[in-house]
Amino acid sequence: MYTLTLYTAAATETEAAGAALAARMLTDESLPPFVALYGDLGVGKTAFVRGFASVVAPGVLVRSPTFALVNEYRGKEKHLFHFDMYRITDEDDLYSIGYDDYLARDGICLVEWSENIPYALPPHHLRVEIEKNDPAMPDSRRITIEERS
Amino acid sequence: MLILALDSTAVVATVALCRDDQPLASFTLKNGNTHSETLLPMAKALFDVTGYTADDVDLFACSEGPGSFTGVRIGAATIKGLAFGKQKTVIGVSSLEAMARNLLPANGLICPVMNARRGQVYNALFLAKDNCLTRLCPDRALAATELYDELLARGEPFYLIGDGCEVAKAAFGDLTSLPVPALLTEQNAVGVARAALALFESGVRTTDQELSPTYLRLPQAERERLAKEQALK
Repeated sequence: MYTLTLYTAAATETEAAGAALAARMLTDESLPPFVALYGDLGVGKTAFVRGFASVVAPGVLVRSPTFALVNEYRGKEKHLFHFDMYRITDEDDLYSIGYDDYLARDGICLVEWSENIPYALPPHHLRVEIEKNDPAMPDSRRITIEERS
Repeated sequence: MLILALDSTAVVATVALCRDDQPLASFTLKNGNTHSETLLPMAKALFDVTGYTADDVDLFACSEGPGSFTGVRIGAATIKGLAFGKQKTVIGVSSLEAMARNLLPANGLICPVMNARRGQVYNALFLAKDNCLTRLCPDRALAATELYDELLARGEPFYLIGDGCEVAKAAFGDLTSLPVPALLTEQNAVGVARAALALFESGVRTTDQELSPTYLRLPQAERERLAKEQALK
Protein backbone atom coordinates (compact mmCIF):
# COMPACT_ATOMS: atom_id res chain seq x y z
CA MET A 1 0.00 0.00 0.00
CA TYR A 2 1.36 3.38 -1.06
CA THR A 3 1.52 6.07 1.60
CA LEU A 4 3.41 9.33 1.69
CA THR A 5 3.37 12.48 3.81
CA LEU A 6 4.77 15.71 2.42
CA TYR A 7 5.18 19.22 3.79
CA THR A 8 5.03 22.18 1.43
CA ALA A 9 5.73 25.84 2.10
CA ALA A 10 4.03 27.50 -0.89
CA ALA A 11 1.35 26.88 -3.51
CA THR A 12 4.06 26.19 -6.11
CA GLU A 13 5.33 23.34 -3.94
CA THR A 14 1.81 21.94 -3.58
CA GLU A 15 1.65 21.98 -7.39
CA ALA A 16 4.96 20.13 -7.53
CA ALA A 17 3.55 17.51 -5.15
CA GLY A 18 0.62 17.02 -7.53
CA ALA A 19 3.00 16.69 -10.46
CA ALA A 20 5.07 14.10 -8.60
CA LEU A 21 2.02 11.98 -7.82
CA ALA A 22 0.89 12.15 -11.46
CA ALA A 23 4.30 11.00 -12.69
CA ARG A 24 4.18 8.13 -10.24
CA MET A 25 0.63 7.12 -11.27
CA LEU A 26 1.54 7.11 -14.97
CA THR A 27 4.39 4.67 -14.36
CA ASP A 28 3.07 2.51 -11.51
CA GLU A 29 0.11 0.51 -12.80
CA SER A 30 -0.63 -0.94 -9.38
CA LEU A 31 -1.97 2.47 -8.29
CA PRO A 32 -5.71 3.11 -8.85
CA PRO A 33 -6.69 5.81 -11.40
CA PHE A 34 -8.82 7.63 -8.84
CA VAL A 35 -7.71 10.38 -6.45
CA ALA A 36 -10.09 11.52 -3.72
CA LEU A 37 -9.08 14.98 -2.51
CA TYR A 38 -9.91 16.23 0.96
CA GLY A 39 -9.31 19.65 2.46
CA ASP A 40 -10.94 22.94 3.40
CA LEU A 41 -11.74 25.81 1.06
CA GLY A 42 -8.60 27.55 -0.15
CA VAL A 43 -6.23 24.92 1.17
CA GLY A 44 -4.73 24.23 -2.25
CA LYS A 45 -6.68 21.34 -3.78
CA THR A 46 -6.87 23.08 -7.15
CA ALA A 47 -3.14 23.92 -7.00
CA PHE A 48 -2.48 20.22 -6.45
CA VAL A 49 -4.67 19.35 -9.45
CA ARG A 50 -2.90 22.00 -11.56
CA GLY A 51 0.43 20.32 -10.88
CA PHE A 52 -1.08 16.91 -11.55
CA ALA A 53 -2.55 18.07 -14.87
CA SER A 54 0.76 19.63 -15.96
CA VAL A 55 2.11 16.07 -16.21
CA VAL A 56 -0.91 14.18 -17.57
CA ALA A 57 -2.25 16.87 -19.91
CA PRO A 58 0.46 19.54 -20.34
CA GLY A 59 -0.71 22.97 -21.41
CA VAL A 60 -4.35 22.71 -20.31
CA LEU A 61 -5.93 25.46 -18.26
CA VAL A 62 -6.98 24.07 -14.87
CA ARG A 63 -9.79 25.74 -12.99
CA SER A 64 -11.87 24.49 -10.13
CA PRO A 65 -15.05 23.08 -11.75
CA THR A 66 -17.26 24.75 -9.17
CA PHE A 67 -19.96 25.53 -11.72
CA ALA A 68 -19.24 22.98 -14.44
CA LEU A 69 -18.97 20.23 -11.77
CA VAL A 70 -16.52 18.34 -13.96
CA ASN A 71 -13.73 19.44 -16.31
CA GLU A 72 -12.14 17.16 -18.85
CA TYR A 73 -8.47 17.61 -19.70
CA ARG A 74 -7.33 15.61 -22.69
CA GLY A 75 -3.90 14.09 -22.17
CA LYS A 76 -1.63 12.11 -24.46
CA GLU A 77 -1.73 8.81 -22.58
CA LYS A 78 -4.72 9.38 -20.32
CA HIS A 79 -7.54 11.86 -20.04
CA LEU A 80 -8.04 13.61 -16.73
CA PHE A 81 -11.49 14.13 -15.20
CA HIS A 82 -11.52 16.85 -12.56
CA PHE A 83 -14.63 16.85 -10.36
CA ASP A 84 -15.85 19.27 -7.73
CA MET A 85 -18.45 17.59 -5.50
CA TYR A 86 -19.03 20.68 -3.36
CA ARG A 87 -22.59 21.09 -4.65
CA ILE A 88 -23.35 17.37 -5.09
CA THR A 89 -25.73 16.26 -2.39
CA ASP A 90 -27.23 12.97 -3.49
CA GLU A 91 -27.19 10.03 -5.85
CA ASP A 92 -29.41 11.80 -8.39
CA ASP A 93 -26.94 14.71 -8.63
CA LEU A 94 -24.13 12.25 -9.13
CA TYR A 95 -26.03 10.43 -11.87
CA SER A 96 -26.80 13.67 -13.63
CA ILE A 97 -23.13 14.62 -14.03
CA GLY A 98 -22.42 11.19 -15.56
CA TYR A 99 -20.10 10.24 -12.69
CA ASP A 100 -20.28 6.48 -13.33
CA ASP A 101 -19.76 7.02 -17.06
CA TYR A 102 -16.48 8.81 -16.32
CA LEU A 103 -15.40 6.01 -13.98
CA ALA A 104 -15.99 3.49 -16.74
CA ARG A 105 -13.70 5.40 -19.12
CA ASP A 106 -10.01 4.73 -19.16
CA GLY A 107 -8.90 7.99 -17.58
CA ILE A 108 -7.79 9.37 -14.25
CA CYS A 109 -10.38 10.93 -11.90
CA LEU A 110 -9.44 13.67 -9.46
CA VAL A 111 -12.27 14.46 -7.10
CA GLU A 112 -12.40 17.59 -4.95
CA TRP A 113 -14.80 17.52 -2.00
CA SER A 114 -14.83 13.73 -1.85
CA GLU A 115 -16.31 14.22 1.63
CA ASN A 116 -19.67 14.60 -0.10
CA ILE A 117 -19.70 11.22 -1.85
CA PRO A 118 -18.27 8.63 0.58
CA TYR A 119 -20.75 6.03 -0.68
CA ALA A 120 -19.67 6.40 -4.29
CA LEU A 121 -15.87 6.22 -4.05
CA PRO A 122 -14.39 3.15 -5.73
CA PRO A 123 -13.06 0.84 -2.99
CA HIS A 124 -9.54 1.06 -4.41
CA HIS A 125 -8.48 4.70 -4.57
CA LEU A 126 -5.86 7.18 -3.44
CA ARG A 127 -6.84 9.47 -0.61
CA VAL A 128 -5.07 12.83 -0.63
CA GLU A 129 -5.64 15.15 2.30
CA ILE A 130 -4.29 18.69 2.30
CA GLU A 131 -4.22 20.57 5.63
CA LYS A 132 -2.77 23.74 7.08
CA ASN A 133 -0.28 22.48 9.63
CA ASP A 134 1.25 25.55 11.23
CA PRO A 135 -0.75 28.65 12.29
CA ALA A 136 2.48 30.67 12.30
CA MET A 137 3.11 29.84 8.62
CA PRO A 138 -0.13 30.41 6.71
CA ASP A 139 1.29 28.98 3.46
CA SER A 140 2.61 25.74 4.85
CA ARG A 141 0.69 22.53 4.24
CA ARG A 142 0.78 18.90 5.19
CA ILE A 143 -0.19 16.57 2.31
CA THR A 144 -1.04 12.99 3.21
CA ILE A 145 -1.32 10.47 0.38
CA GLU A 146 -2.75 7.10 1.25
CA GLU A 147 -3.72 4.15 -0.96
CA ARG A 148 -7.05 2.67 0.15
CA SER A 149 -8.62 -0.59 -0.90
CA MET B 1 -41.71 0.81 -43.64
CA LEU B 2 -38.03 1.75 -43.25
CA ILE B 3 -36.93 2.09 -39.62
CA LEU B 4 -33.69 3.57 -38.30
CA ALA B 5 -33.10 2.48 -34.70
CA LEU B 6 -30.29 3.06 -32.23
CA ASP B 7 -29.31 2.36 -28.64
CA SER B 8 -26.45 3.91 -26.66
CA THR B 9 -27.79 3.47 -23.14
CA ALA B 10 -24.90 1.22 -22.04
CA VAL B 11 -21.32 0.52 -23.15
CA VAL B 12 -22.58 -0.94 -26.44
CA ALA B 13 -23.45 1.43 -29.29
CA THR B 14 -25.79 -0.12 -31.82
CA VAL B 15 -27.59 1.13 -34.93
CA ALA B 16 -29.92 -0.81 -37.24
CA LEU B 17 -31.82 -0.20 -40.43
CA CYS B 18 -34.90 -2.41 -40.67
CA ARG B 19 -37.62 -3.03 -43.21
CA ASP B 20 -40.57 -3.51 -40.85
CA ASP B 21 -39.42 -6.18 -38.38
CA GLN B 22 -36.65 -7.51 -40.61
CA PRO B 23 -33.09 -6.17 -40.28
CA LEU B 24 -31.49 -4.84 -43.47
CA ALA B 25 -28.22 -3.84 -41.84
CA SER B 26 -26.94 -3.38 -38.32
CA PHE B 27 -23.77 -2.13 -36.71
CA THR B 28 -22.85 -2.86 -33.10
CA LEU B 29 -19.74 -1.51 -31.42
CA LYS B 30 -18.32 -2.28 -27.99
CA ASN B 31 -14.85 -0.83 -27.81
CA GLY B 32 -15.30 1.82 -25.12
CA ASN B 33 -15.35 4.75 -27.56
CA THR B 34 -17.59 7.68 -26.75
CA HIS B 35 -21.05 7.25 -28.28
CA SER B 36 -21.12 10.89 -29.36
CA GLU B 37 -18.18 10.11 -31.65
CA THR B 38 -19.39 6.76 -33.02
CA LEU B 39 -23.19 6.75 -33.49
CA LEU B 40 -23.35 9.09 -36.47
CA PRO B 41 -20.49 7.45 -38.41
CA MET B 42 -22.22 4.10 -37.74
CA ALA B 43 -25.55 5.39 -39.08
CA LYS B 44 -23.75 6.87 -42.09
CA ALA B 45 -22.07 3.51 -42.77
CA LEU B 46 -25.47 1.79 -42.80
CA PHE B 47 -26.90 4.37 -45.21
CA ASP B 48 -23.80 4.15 -47.44
CA VAL B 49 -23.86 0.36 -47.79
CA THR B 50 -27.62 0.09 -48.27
CA GLY B 51 -27.98 3.10 -50.56
CA TYR B 52 -30.67 4.72 -48.44
CA THR B 53 -30.53 8.19 -46.89
CA ALA B 54 -32.10 9.65 -43.78
CA ASP B 55 -34.84 11.07 -46.04
CA ASP B 56 -35.98 7.51 -46.86
CA VAL B 57 -36.57 6.64 -43.21
CA ASP B 58 -40.26 6.40 -42.21
CA LEU B 59 -39.78 5.76 -38.51
CA PHE B 60 -36.93 6.91 -36.25
CA ALA B 61 -36.48 4.95 -33.03
CA CYS B 62 -34.14 5.01 -30.05
CA SER B 63 -33.83 3.58 -26.57
CA GLU B 64 -34.81 6.48 -24.34
CA GLY B 65 -33.56 4.83 -21.13
CA PRO B 66 -32.98 3.64 -18.54
CA GLY B 67 -29.21 3.51 -18.70
CA SER B 68 -26.09 5.60 -18.37
CA PHE B 69 -26.90 9.31 -18.10
CA THR B 70 -24.65 10.43 -20.93
CA GLY B 71 -25.54 7.41 -23.07
CA VAL B 72 -29.27 8.06 -22.78
CA ARG B 73 -28.82 11.73 -23.68
CA ILE B 74 -26.54 11.02 -26.63
CA GLY B 75 -29.00 8.48 -28.08
CA ALA B 76 -32.02 10.76 -27.76
CA ALA B 77 -30.13 13.80 -29.09
CA THR B 78 -28.77 11.83 -32.06
CA ILE B 79 -32.14 10.48 -33.19
CA LYS B 80 -33.73 13.91 -32.69
CA GLY B 81 -31.00 15.41 -34.85
CA LEU B 82 -31.44 12.84 -37.61
CA ALA B 83 -35.23 13.25 -37.62
CA PHE B 84 -35.22 17.02 -37.26
CA GLY B 85 -37.51 18.79 -39.70
CA LYS B 86 -38.55 15.60 -41.50
CA GLN B 87 -42.12 15.41 -40.12
CA LYS B 88 -41.69 11.71 -39.43
CA THR B 89 -42.70 9.60 -36.45
CA VAL B 90 -40.02 9.37 -33.75
CA ILE B 91 -40.54 6.73 -31.07
CA GLY B 92 -38.57 6.21 -27.87
CA VAL B 93 -38.63 2.75 -26.33
CA SER B 94 -37.44 1.16 -23.11
CA SER B 95 -33.88 -0.11 -23.44
CA LEU B 96 -34.91 -3.11 -21.29
CA GLU B 97 -37.88 -3.98 -23.47
CA ALA B 98 -35.79 -3.67 -26.64
CA MET B 99 -33.32 -6.18 -25.21
CA ALA B 100 -36.10 -8.57 -24.17
CA ARG B 101 -37.65 -8.39 -27.63
CA ASN B 102 -34.47 -9.78 -29.21
CA LEU B 103 -35.10 -13.08 -27.38
CA LEU B 104 -38.42 -13.71 -29.14
CA PRO B 105 -39.75 -16.27 -30.05
CA ALA B 106 -38.43 -17.73 -26.77
CA ASN B 107 -41.13 -18.55 -24.25
CA GLY B 108 -41.02 -17.75 -20.56
CA LEU B 109 -39.87 -15.11 -18.11
CA ILE B 110 -37.31 -12.61 -19.44
CA CYS B 111 -35.27 -10.59 -16.95
CA PRO B 112 -33.09 -7.88 -18.54
CA VAL B 113 -30.67 -6.21 -16.13
CA MET B 114 -28.42 -3.19 -16.70
CA ASN B 115 -25.66 -2.24 -14.30
CA ALA B 116 -26.79 0.85 -12.37
CA ARG B 117 -23.64 0.72 -10.16
CA ARG B 118 -23.25 0.23 -6.43
CA GLY B 119 -25.09 -3.08 -6.39
CA GLN B 120 -28.13 -1.74 -8.24
CA VAL B 121 -29.61 -2.81 -11.55
CA TYR B 122 -32.15 -1.32 -13.94
CA ASN B 123 -34.72 -4.01 -14.58
CA ALA B 124 -38.20 -4.92 -15.72
CA LEU B 125 -39.78 -8.35 -16.08
CA PHE B 126 -41.43 -9.61 -19.26
CA LEU B 127 -43.38 -12.72 -20.14
CA ALA B 128 -42.80 -14.06 -23.64
CA LYS B 129 -45.45 -16.28 -25.14
CA ASP B 130 -46.55 -17.06 -28.71
CA ASN B 131 -44.10 -14.48 -30.08
CA CYS B 132 -45.67 -11.75 -27.91
CA LEU B 133 -44.06 -9.84 -25.09
CA THR B 134 -46.09 -8.90 -22.01
CA ARG B 135 -44.62 -6.43 -19.55
CA LEU B 136 -45.04 -7.53 -15.92
CA CYS B 137 -43.77 -4.38 -14.18
CA PRO B 138 -42.52 -0.87 -15.04
CA ASP B 139 -38.81 -0.15 -15.58
CA ARG B 140 -37.20 0.36 -12.19
CA ALA B 141 -33.89 0.62 -10.37
CA LEU B 142 -33.46 -1.80 -7.52
CA ALA B 143 -30.79 -3.65 -5.56
CA ALA B 144 -29.73 -6.91 -7.21
CA THR B 145 -30.51 -8.62 -3.90
CA GLU B 146 -34.12 -7.37 -4.06
CA LEU B 147 -34.45 -8.76 -7.56
CA TYR B 148 -33.12 -12.06 -6.27
CA ASP B 149 -35.86 -12.17 -3.61
CA GLU B 150 -38.48 -11.45 -6.25
CA LEU B 151 -37.29 -14.12 -8.68
CA LEU B 152 -36.96 -16.63 -5.89
CA ALA B 153 -40.56 -15.93 -4.86
CA ARG B 154 -41.77 -16.37 -8.46
CA GLY B 155 -40.02 -19.73 -8.67
CA GLU B 156 -40.04 -19.79 -12.51
CA PRO B 157 -37.10 -20.41 -14.84
CA PHE B 158 -35.96 -17.12 -16.39
CA TYR B 159 -33.66 -15.67 -19.05
CA LEU B 160 -31.11 -13.17 -17.72
CA ILE B 161 -29.66 -10.65 -20.23
CA GLY B 162 -27.90 -7.29 -20.19
CA ASP B 163 -24.67 -5.79 -18.88
CA GLY B 164 -25.94 -6.16 -15.31
CA CYS B 165 -25.70 -9.96 -15.52
CA GLU B 166 -22.46 -10.05 -13.57
CA VAL B 167 -23.83 -7.90 -10.74
CA ALA B 168 -27.03 -9.94 -10.72
CA LYS B 169 -25.30 -13.31 -10.77
CA ALA B 170 -23.08 -12.25 -7.87
CA ALA B 171 -26.25 -11.54 -5.86
CA PHE B 172 -28.18 -14.58 -7.11
CA GLY B 173 -25.77 -17.24 -5.83
CA ASP B 174 -27.02 -20.66 -6.91
CA LEU B 175 -30.23 -19.32 -8.49
CA THR B 176 -29.31 -19.94 -12.12
CA SER B 177 -30.87 -18.64 -15.33
CA LEU B 178 -31.69 -20.27 -18.67
CA PRO B 179 -28.93 -20.28 -21.31
CA VAL B 180 -28.95 -17.39 -23.82
CA PRO B 181 -26.91 -17.21 -27.07
CA ALA B 182 -23.99 -14.82 -26.61
CA LEU B 183 -25.18 -12.57 -29.46
CA LEU B 184 -28.40 -11.81 -27.59
CA THR B 185 -27.01 -10.95 -24.18
CA GLU B 186 -26.58 -7.22 -24.80
CA GLN B 187 -28.26 -4.36 -26.65
CA ASN B 188 -28.91 -4.67 -30.36
CA ALA B 189 -30.80 -1.95 -32.22
CA VAL B 190 -32.92 -4.50 -34.10
CA GLY B 191 -34.80 -4.98 -30.80
CA VAL B 192 -35.26 -1.21 -30.60
CA ALA B 193 -36.75 -1.17 -34.11
CA ARG B 194 -39.11 -4.04 -33.23
CA ALA B 195 -40.23 -2.41 -29.97
CA ALA B 196 -40.87 0.86 -31.83
CA LEU B 197 -42.75 -0.96 -34.59
CA ALA B 198 -45.01 -2.59 -31.98
CA LEU B 199 -45.80 0.86 -30.57
CA PHE B 200 -46.36 2.27 -34.05
CA GLU B 201 -48.78 -0.55 -34.87
CA SER B 202 -50.66 0.21 -31.65
CA GLY B 203 -51.16 3.77 -32.88
CA VAL B 204 -48.26 5.72 -31.35
CA ARG B 205 -47.28 8.71 -33.55
CA THR B 206 -44.88 10.75 -31.45
CA THR B 207 -42.61 13.40 -32.97
CA ASP B 208 -38.98 14.39 -32.49
CA GLN B 209 -40.10 17.15 -30.15
CA GLU B 210 -41.97 14.74 -27.89
CA LEU B 211 -39.08 12.30 -27.51
CA SER B 212 -37.45 12.77 -24.14
CA PRO B 213 -34.83 10.80 -22.19
CA THR B 214 -36.08 8.67 -19.32
CA TYR B 215 -33.99 8.64 -16.18
CA LEU B 216 -34.82 6.39 -13.28
CA ARG B 217 -34.14 7.70 -9.85
CA LEU B 218 -32.27 5.51 -7.44
CA PRO B 219 -34.37 5.63 -4.28
CA GLN B 220 -32.75 2.49 -2.87
CA ALA B 221 -29.28 3.94 -3.27
CA GLU B 222 -30.47 7.04 -1.48
CA ARG B 223 -31.84 4.95 1.35
CA GLU B 224 -28.60 3.02 1.61
CA ARG B 225 -26.57 6.19 1.66
CA LEU B 226 -28.68 7.69 4.43
CA ALA B 227 -28.38 4.49 6.43
CA LYS B 228 -24.61 4.53 5.99
CA GLU B 229 -24.40 8.17 7.01
CA GLN B 230 -26.47 7.43 10.11
CA ALA B 231 -24.16 4.55 10.95
CA LEU B 232 -21.11 6.82 10.65
CA LYS B 233 -22.50 9.39 13.07
